[in-house]
Amino acid sequence: MTDMAPGAPILSVRHISKQFPGVKALDDISLEFRPGEIHALAGENGAGKSTFIKVLGGIITPDQGQMELAGQPYAPSGPNDAIARGVRVVHQEFNLLRHLSVAENLLFERLPRKLGILVDKAEMRRRARDLLNLVGLSQLDPSTPISSLGIAQQQLVEIARALSDDARVLILDEPTATLTPRETDRLFEIVHRLKDQGTSVLFISHHLDEIFAHCDRVTVFRNGKLVATQKTAEIDTDGLVRQMVGREVIHAPIARNVDRSATPALSVSGFQTAINARRPDIAFDLYPGEILGIAGLVGSGRSEVLRAIFGADRPARGRISRNGQPVAIQSPRDALRQGICLVTENRKEEGLILPMSIAVNTTLATVRNISSGGLLDRGKERGIAGQMMRSLDTRMASLQQAVGSLSGGNQQKVVLGKWLLRDPQILMLDEPTRGIDIGAKAEIYTLLRQLADQGVGILVVSSEVPELLGLADRVLVMSRGVIAGELAHQDMSEEAILQLAYAEYAKEQVTRG
Amino acid sequence: MHNKLTVAIAAAMCSTALMAVPSLADQARPQVCLVMKSLANEFFKDMSIGAEEYAKSRGDFDLKMVGMQSETDFDAQVNAVDTCIAEKKDIIVLAPADSRAMVGPVKRAVDAGVTVVNFDVALDEEAKKAAGLDLAFVGPDNAAGAKEAGDALAKALGNGGKVVILEGNPGADNGIQRKAGFEQSIKDNGLELLDSRTAHWETEEANTVFTTMLTAHPDLQGVMAANDSMALGVVKAIDAAGMSGKIQVVGFDNIPAVSALVKEGKVLATVDQFGRDLASNAIDLGIKSFKDGKPLEGWVKTPIELVTKDNVK
Amino acid sequence: MTEMTAKRSPMAAISGVMRNAGIAVALVLLILVFSLTTTTFLTPLNLTNIMVQITLNIILAAGMTFVILIGGIDLSVGSVMALAGVVGATFVSNPELPTWLAILGMIVASCGVGAIAGTINGLISAWWAIPSFIVTLGMLNMARGGALQFTQANTVYIANPAITKFGTATVAGIPVLFLVAVAIIILGWFVLNKTVFGRMLYAIGNNEEAVRLAGHNTLFYKTAAFAICGLGAGIAAIMYMARLTSASPIMGNGYELNAIAAVIIGGTSLAGGRGSMIGTLLGAAVIGVLGNGLILIGASDFVRQIITGAVIILAVILDAVQGRLAAKRKGA
Repeated sequence: MTDMAPGAPILSVRHISKQFPGVKALDDISLEFRPGEIHALAGENGAGKSTFIKVLGGIITPDQGQMELAGQPYAPSGPNDAIARGVRVVHQEFNLLRHLSVAENLLFERLPRKLGILVDKAEMRRRARDLLNLVGLSQLDPSTPISSLGIAQQQLVEIARALSDDARVLILDEPTATLTPRETDRLFEIVHRLKDQGTSVLFISHHLDEIFAHCDRVTVFRNGKLVATQKTAEIDTDGLVRQMVGREVIHAPIARNVDRSATPALSVSGFQTAINARRPDIAFDLYPGEILGIAGLVGSGRSEVLRAIFGADRPARGRISRNGQPVAIQSPRDALRQGICLVTENRKEEGLILPMSIAVNTTLATVRNISSGGLLDRGKERGIAGQMMRSLDTRMASLQQAVGSLSGGNQQKVVLGKWLLRDPQILMLDEPTRGIDIGAKAEIYTLLRQLADQGVGILVVSSEVPELLGLADRVLVMSRGVIAGELAHQDMSEEAILQLAYAEYAKEQVTRG
Repeated sequence: MHNKLTVAIAAAMCSTALMAVPSLADQARPQVCLVMKSLANEFFKDMSIGAEEYAKSRGDFDLKMVGMQSETDFDAQVNAVDTCIAEKKDIIVLAPADSRAMVGPVKRAVDAGVTVVNFDVALDEEAKKAAGLDLAFVGPDNAAGAKEAGDALAKALGNGGKVVILEGNPGADNGIQRKAGFEQSIKDNGLELLDSRTAHWETEEANTVFTTMLTAHPDLQGVMAANDSMALGVVKAIDAAGMSGKIQVVGFDNIPAVSALVKEGKVLATVDQFGRDLASNAIDLGIKSFKDGKPLEGWVKTPIELVTKDNVK
Repeated sequence: MTEMTAKRSPMAAISGVMRNAGIAVALVLLILVFSLTTTTFLTPLNLTNIMVQITLNIILAAGMTFVILIGGIDLSVGSVMALAGVVGATFVSNPELPTWLAILGMIVASCGVGAIAGTINGLISAWWAIPSFIVTLGMLNMARGGALQFTQANTVYIANPAITKFGTATVAGIPVLFLVAVAIIILGWFVLNKTVFGRMLYAIGNNEEAVRLAGHNTLFYKTAAFAICGLGAGIAAIMYMARLTSASPIMGNGYELNAIAAVIIGGTSLAGGRGSMIGTLLGAAVIGVLGNGLILIGASDFVRQIITGAVIILAVILDAVQGRLAAKRKGA
């Protein structure tokens, strides 16, 4: 290591610019990272954060500007070069090999050898075990294939992999988006330990509370430009948001006048999913105009309930009624006929056809409206899709643009637009604001409230408790596949929800103990 | 010449049949294993029907027939031969899918005391020598047949006639021999060879390849096709080019679809190698050798016949 | 916010045009080379010959395009063509039937056999989510075996004058067989680009799950794509019989690979979701021109095979490079 004066930057970036066709992704960015610092990078999606960390990680070469790492010129030729120099990026999209084991993924770059060519399995397991312990996955068998892990566990494995080499600069791109509060706490323990060891951590998050709780300094990007760098102690949430969006954010007005004496728009009883296979006892009602939240830990069976109502997987076990009439839902087709729509958790894999245009995606569930006699009417398609996208204020270059090139928030608007064109009576949303910037989040909240006011019944699954507190009229809390409790609006609080979320797990411990 | 051969074989067959009858009572029924190439080939399909009828009419031996999926599936053929050895068959009658690859399994069979008759395609002489195997071959002389067809074409065209050859699958022994026969005829008769290409025994490919040859050589006068399926495609190409009667075609195999064309004069000649009798002949010789304990020697040629307008059925 | 928005659409449009343009340029280049190196290539007779010669591959490849677009593959088209051909031939080679009935019987039988085989392929692979590679490999064997069983391995000779007439007819010097193939390409292009059905095939090829969750019957669309491919094999069988006035149970052996090659050279992605009918037409033309021209310049059979193989690999490299460029743009 090079000798450095204390407080001297480990990584400095000077006048970095990057031009993409039609847009300046990074505009003259200069920034310094110090050893032993947790530095947050904030900004709306599309502000240039992703491009910036790709430049640091050697994935993108900037058009202009220089970088220095520990006083030496730093111009990585590729991700491997960056890792070799001690700069490690944990991306939002995982780079895991799905069919290999956890251990193989963790130690992929440096599998322990014996006799020169054979993989030393015992040693590999041991080292993998150590890394998994670091991220709190001590229960996980290192020989499990990645494909059988949940999304949160994959995220933790990805982080563990980054810890396998002693990075001088560790870049975490939205690491907590898929984690439960408990896992998030665990992650920050690790991050603080790395900080104490002198690692410089760059942390990207939409969760402003995390930024204020754990980071030393925060830099805000907007439209490819650096707006400000400041100590977190010297700014508050509102100030940070103002810097990010460049304007005041208006919170959605919340009006609650749900008529619970009416016939429920949707009733579910005796319901059973793969998670609570032995207890077919999920039951609840959703009233017209109500926003009903479903809270719970990742893996508690919330998504399964939505998917079962939608007929997404196998036909649901249990009874479903619409406006008091029993209905049979065997497939998404049946659900849609009943006016039930689902915004899935996995926007990119299930909600959108990324390489195809915004127009195609928006009209995917209403092709009849843009065709006659099986022939497409592109004029109608443009008209209908264009009107919907304008009403949702989707930011795009053209309707023919591939939906995969939009930011997360705008992608989600395309998904919503697709369902709104069907005039849903029941709209179910699974993590509707994951990976979406603050501005778009607020727009989505406003939209959901408007829909509810028009009488649409809305069912929202979210892992962000504050989101439910602000949005929902009532919350169901799931724990280990069953509904552990229901909270009316006046009883909703972060503590109450978490208590119920852990209820079934606590029972287990008691019976074991 | 082939007439003499036919007589010789016929005489041999008669005597075998006569000798076979009395010995029927005191010997167990010989177990015969007939291993052929692809039954998807009309020629072998026909042959298998002939063998079945022969077994039924003679009634003094048990016949097991094995056919392959494709012409070149010698791996499956190796397995078939090994199975026959394991089943302790007395006689294996084999049409090798590969003249070299099948030498090993045949050697194993001979060493196990099985009487092996090699028919249709001869095992490679050098490979046999290398394996220390001395085995006769029963089959038609493909080269001689092709030469006869070629000679018929040469007679029609006269000295200096310009011809092309459509070859069979590259590497297939009968294809190689037929090409050699055509070439010999071209040399002997002073014909001019313009081009020689494979159409993989196949009608549509022959049509395509020949059409293009005709473009490259508009002055060509005659075609030698290594089988009748390809001759079919050539005739269609000649019709399409409006050259009927100006270009002469000879084929090989005498399949029914070509008989009509021979009658019409669109195919000058084809060669019948009596495939239906080929397997029966080989079985017959095998049983004789097995009972007499006298191995067959050299090349036992089976009859071939040039089929023209004059003798087509 | 606008960082991601502006850049994809013009680039995507250009790359779409470029893709077909690339093959068109390759085709023109090949034609140029053969025109300069031979005196016979650029003659009307040779050009019409090539048109006839690529007819079968165009039709098979047109059907194959549907299947590859949804991310499937159909290895059975060559064998299904043989089965459809020999079954259809029983009508048209029967001298006792009046001509109209013989022709009608052939069309119905050949197209029917092809479409049924395709439907079976599609239903099995879609219903049980079995890779179509293996299902159609099974069908390859079943159809070939069926054709051999049906004919007892005999080639059927067709002496029907009507079909001969159709096989050799021309309109303004252009073979009718080729015109039929072009009509099929145009029809295929229309279906893929102008109908809801075509839209759904592209969508399924890109993300089947999203289409299913949007309430569409993906089983129907996938099965239909395979049925169309099988129907193509049936039509190809009719063209074969018209051209060669015979039907053999071993015809079409290996044609599935030529059809797949034409589709891939034409820029359709083997992964599904991306490709075009026009590209397929150009791909079949490239293969046909290459085969014809190499014979004319006197290249040996083996060299011909080597060069044809190399062209297929080049096309796939081109596809991969473009895929990577697209990914890079998107990733930025």
